[in-house]
Amino acid sequence: MTTQTRKIKVVLGKVGFDPHDRGVIVLTHALRDAGMEVIFLGKFQTAERVVKAAIDEDADVIALSDHCGVMRLIATDVMAELKRRDATDIVVVAGGIIPEEDIPYLESLGVTGNYRAGTSFQEIIDHITSRVKKERWREV
Amino acid sequence: MTTRQVTYDRAYGSLVRTATQSGIEVKPVYTPQDIADIDYERDIGLPGQYPFTRGIYPEMYRNRLWLKAFIVCYATPEETNRAFKEYIAAGQTGLRILTDTTTLSGVDPDHPLARYDIMCNGNPTFALTEYETMLDGIPLEDVDYESANSTPSGSFFTAVFLVGLVEKMGCDIKRLRGTNINDPIQAFILYGTPEFPMDLARRVTTDLIEFGAKYTPRWHPSTPDGYNMRDAGIDTFRELAFCIANIIQYYGDAIKERGVKLDDFRPMVFSTSAESDFFETACKFRALRRMWARIAKERLGATKPDSMKCRIAIRTAANSMYPQKPINNTARVAYQILGAVLGGVQSIDPSGIDEVFGEPSPESRIFELDIQHIIAHELNVPLVADPLAGSYYVEWLTKRIEEGTWKILNEIDAQGGMWAALKSGWLKQQFDIPTINLYKEIEEGKRLIVGVNSFKGEDGAISRAIIDSAYKVPADPKRFGAIDKVKRLRATRDERKVVDSLNELYRATRDGENIVRPAIEAAKAYATVGEMVGAIRMASGYCYDPYEMVQTPPFMKHLEPSANR
Repeated sequence: MTTQTRKIKVVLGKVGFDPHDRGVIVLTHALRDAGMEVIFLGKFQTAERVVKAAIDEDADVIALSDHCGVMRLIATDVMAELKRRDATDIVVVAGGIIPEEDIPYLESLGVTGNYRAGTSFQEIIDHITSRVKKERWREV
Repeated sequence: MTTRQVTYDRAYGSLVRTATQSGIEVKPVYTPQDIADIDYERDIGLPGQYPFTRGIYPEMYRNRLWLKAFIVCYATPEETNRAFKEYIAAGQTGLRILTDTTTLSGVDPDHPLARYDIMCNGNPTFALTEYETMLDGIPLEDVDYESANSTPSGSFFTAVFLVGLVEKMGCDIKRLRGTNINDPIQAFILYGTPEFPMDLARRVTTDLIEFGAKYTPRWHPSTPDGYNMRDAGIDTFRELAFCIANIIQYYGDAIKERGVKLDDFRPMVFSTSAESDFFETACKFRALRRMWARIAKERLGATKPDSMKCRIAIRTAANSMYPQKPINNTARVAYQILGAVLGGVQSIDPSGIDEVFGEPSPESRIFELDIQHIIAHELNVPLVADPLAGSYYVEWLTKRIEEGTWKILNEIDAQGGMWAALKSGWLKQQFDIPTINLYKEIEEGKRLIVGVNSFKGEDGAISRAIIDSAYKVPADPKRFGAIDKVKRLRATRDERKVVDSLNELYRATRDGENIVRPAIEAAKAYATVGEMVGAIRMASGYCYDPYEMVQTPPFMKHLEPSANR
């Protein structure tokens, strides 16, 4: 019962110089409309800053966006920083232009979703909700 | 024996909307009554005659086809050079340059944040050495070079490096041709890179326009980036209005502050988008020409007919290309090109059918060229100028687009221009709300995208091949090679020349002089983008690194005002 009022908190960020932010801006609004609490950190972030913001804000989810084809490196750095700061319980999802051959590696790191253009918001919302309920709130 | 049953629905796939892509509600049919207030002589006229609705040349494509121009931006200058040569042989006539995301942000490959994006979306042209390699063996004079580097520093350094290279090779900068996309207001909304803050970006744009008017008459110093703005999700009215308002702002500044005249330039260039909505796309270009002719004449003081003409350079809509069933992208790009040709544009840069998966592969680039060759030589479309003219619907829609655009232009005027609209936050709102609405319409099925929210299906062998063919960013060790390269350059160049030229760039910036020439001299001494950005920033009272992550290099410390040390 209590979980009905509990809001999922998501930190969105773009690491590096990739300027393409329309996708992440639109997603910010879609997640908010779905009742989540969303913080978009903006562009030109470092892995350290994204992880710090997620810890400081007590976020359930980090959502990473990249259109340069280098999610592999961004995710590696973010996951290493989460480990260093003992915060691997934060759910990490990703989207943008992600080379298909990198997806198994990203999944092996625990970075899921890996959505591309044209994915419905509902699919992303359902995925985030299900991971948070299972991994953070221990609901099945 | 059981047989599989199917349900048959005669209405399956019926239309779901009665409005165009930009939300213009349209009737099922148009008649002479709908265009009763349009005067042929005044509003349409002949191609090549004011107000140029039907095109800027009397015989249009019979005398010259549009430029086949696209971005060539592979990971290294060597690869990009080979590709340019291959594409020129296949019919590319407009050479579009795009640097990598790192350089576009105003820093060098050895910046701590650069590791993610070195060689992404282009090669890191951090110094003139890279231009020397990238354009080696390609003529510099009388070739159309177009820059797609549309951050404030990206536009500036494209001009600086190109002019620098032309001079270094002993060629004549008066014969440098092409167009510089230079639109800092757009960049503040869509890129948001901080290297040149607003005051600096505004001044550098005016510097480029003044320099262009005096020294590079065939290289257009500043065209607005309507394409990028449209691709972010705005409608056709805003796309045109923001383009026109940005030109009024940039050229208005230069006319007022530097004494240049619109008549000093070749016909204005507008970089805009060709979208999937076929008639809206074709009519948009007709509306734009008519509007520009009047604005140039009545508002910006043009007296020569050439200055009242505008050349339209389009890129087809990248955001219309989808990764689901990518074979469908071939149809989208072909129709977008056809819409642009029917609209009478001067330059076409198509999306790659595989560019949602990476950079377009060589085969997809050649395919785009072939689409244009097919339109020219098999469809016979370019034989007659403005063949859509006189259609009740086309003339009505052209007028309707013009009216909607004037409305937005008046709103911008009431605020005091585009810089004011940017500063007040009004402009940002104009982008965010339509973008969100656009995606909501797709989500709710009010706008059908084939293979995405309707008519879905599995990728077959052809689609799989498209997915696999895109050019991917190289592996990290190769990308990080650029870090060694910039360090090697720093170790081997004549440091005295670098320091002297950066001192001069700093001084000219501080003293309020035009900084294009001193930047060209610094580029010729092999100063890097990061160093030149730093010198310009420090002379304007900002810290060396736009991202506040690195210290001022020791050899530039003396430039620092003591307060910042």
